[in-house]
Amino acid sequence: MEFRDNKAIYLQIAEYVCDHILLEKWKTDEKVPSVREMAVDLEVNPNTVMRTYELLQNKNIINNKRGIGFFVTENAVANVKSYRRGEFMDNELPSVFRNIYLLNIGFNELENRYNTYVKETFNV
Amino acid sequence: MIEIKNLNFGYSKKKLLFKDLSMQLKAGHIYGLLGKNGAGKSSLLKNMAGLVYAFSGKIDVIGYNPAKRQPALLKEICFIPEEFYLPSVKIDSYVKANAAFYSNFDHNYFGDLLAEFDIPVDQKLVNMSYGQKKKLIIAFGLATKAQLIIMDEPTNGLDIPSKAQFRKIMAAALTDDRCIIISTHQVRDLDNLIDTVIMLDESCVALKASVEEITKKLCFKRIKELDDTVIYAEPSLSGYHALMPNYHDEDSKLDMELLFNAVLAEKIKIKAAFN
Amino acid sequence: MNNTFDIQRFGLLLKRKWLEFGKIYLITLAVVFGVILAAYAIAFWPVFTGLEPFNERKISFRVPLFIGLGFLFLTAVASSYFAHLGQKPKTIIDLLIPASTFEKFLAGVFFTGILSTISYLLIFFLTDVVFVANLQDAARDKVYFFSIVRHGLYAPVYILPLFVTSIFLLGSVYFEKFHYIKTALSVMVFIGVWMAVVFKSGELLTRGRHAVENNPIVHSGDKSPLECMLTLLLIVLTIVFWVITYLRLKEKEV
Repeated sequence: MEFRDNKAIYLQIAEYVCDHILLEKWKTDEKVPSVREMAVDLEVNPNTVMRTYELLQNKNIINNKRGIGFFVTENAVANVKSYRRGEFMDNELPSVFRNIYLLNIGFNELENRYNTYVKETFNV
Repeated sequence: MIEIKNLNFGYSKKKLLFKDLSMQLKAGHIYGLLGKNGAGKSSLLKNMAGLVYAFSGKIDVIGYNPAKRQPALLKEICFIPEEFYLPSVKIDSYVKANAAFYSNFDHNYFGDLLAEFDIPVDQKLVNMSYGQKKKLIIAFGLATKAQLIIMDEPTNGLDIPSKAQFRKIMAAALTDDRCIIISTHQVRDLDNLIDTVIMLDESCVALKASVEEITKKLCFKRIKELDDTVIYAEPSLSGYHALMPNYHDEDSKLDMELLFNAVLAEKIKIKAAFN
Repeated sequence: MNNTFDIQRFGLLLKRKWLEFGKIYLITLAVVFGVILAAYAIAFWPVFTGLEPFNERKISFRVPLFIGLGFLFLTAVASSYFAHLGQKPKTIIDLLIPASTFEKFLAGVFFTGILSTISYLLIFFLTDVVFVANLQDAARDKVYFFSIVRHGLYAPVYILPLFVTSIFLLGSVYFEKFHYIKTALSVMVFIGVWMAVVFKSGELLTRGRHAVENNPIVHSGDKSPLECMLTLLLIVLTIVFWVITYLRLKEKEV
């Protein structure tokens, strides 16, 4: 996997796991790859993956069944969404706001743009 | 796993390579040993393996003094030197001659590693390229199941696919009872594999901290303009790659090269950030 | 786990060493065998083909050949045994093999002192037996080379192979390069200095005196005190060289 430069590796791995859960590649109550498997797969230190899994456990996205491994929790999807939401609001939105402010973009224009984008991309 | 206390070492008494060097290494980690050419990376590794003798100080490896070269310790050390020699025999006679010294040698694991590294089993060692030989001694060394794995520039001479294989193998090789120390110049090859950075400079340890600790104390950022908080920065296309104290608890990605240069240039400021 | 000596580990070490060392060793042995064979063939050919009758002078080449070739073979093997420790990459592997320094040293003594001597004696005596047995002469029982030993040799001679190999083994671990030449030169310089000292001091001590008896050693009985002393001296020196070799090996750094 290619890692980006601007974010800690363990967070990028968390994103990777969350993506898999949102896309339902890993479903509720299914086992996620072990720390070792994941580390080998991504060519990273197992301690880094452990840090990711600890974070995801705290967010109640996966849980540890002792001696068996890590599993996707029942509310994983909802928890992923709220975790991602927080991440977006805290980390990404400020730079969007900065540009909106610097470039004098009006909220009306943004709303129109947003609606068209959703319609075109997700066919809603 | 390893405890070094007040090590004084050098190739002549007048010019010491290490002055009162102390450090502790624990099992369950991959340590990345960094330093300029001639900073003593290889020498430190050799001290740990008992290949050289210090003037004074104490080294303890799993309860043994490596300078005594006792078999009980030697079988727990896997040392991959930068330059190495292999006799001109076939792989299996090499294994037959050497594996029996290691009571925990795992033949199945060795086979798996050879397969993963794409090394044909019935090949003669003389006919193999430098990279293949290197992969072979790495595979053999890991299969000894030694607790202490010391590697001096292991990715030198490996081609691009082999480097990826190497990272996978090392990620799998790290267990709770093992301690892996890798010295390297090729920081980019290994930066996601290392969990603790040890930097040698001017005959002492300039920095020894885990990636988690480092990113807690320091923030690696791309910025447009320099300000007072920046400890060290390097110009880039879109501004600067900068290193600054992590005031806002940001989780940035450790940039090993930037850190390396920063430690060399701004040792005092970096030390201050860690205290 | 015994960290000084373990018989099983020692066996493994011999096996491992043989893998690297064996090929060169066997080739050297083959060359030695070839030289012996050639010498015997040249000497015995006219006898076998009936061109000339056999006489004792025909086999007078054996003693100098035995001593000269034996010396060359033993010293060559001994001075190459630890020679690779002059090369960094080979030293690292050797030092890190999980066997004790004592075992590594003992393997050296085994290969250079014991195995070499035995294999040399064996091929020399066997060649001799084969050639001499084919003589059509009634006196052939007397001319077997090993019959020399029957009457017993000057005692220090038995120690000589170990003594000589111990010097060259030390040379092979002591010098980084050109082990053979450097060892041989050192030995010669040492002997030279020693002889000079002995002669000079002898001259000084005996100045203005007469020798009363010419050569007391020759006249004395079976095992003279000198013979015993010399044997003892060689044994002590051999052990001293071995101890130094062991210590050098222990101190070896990369």
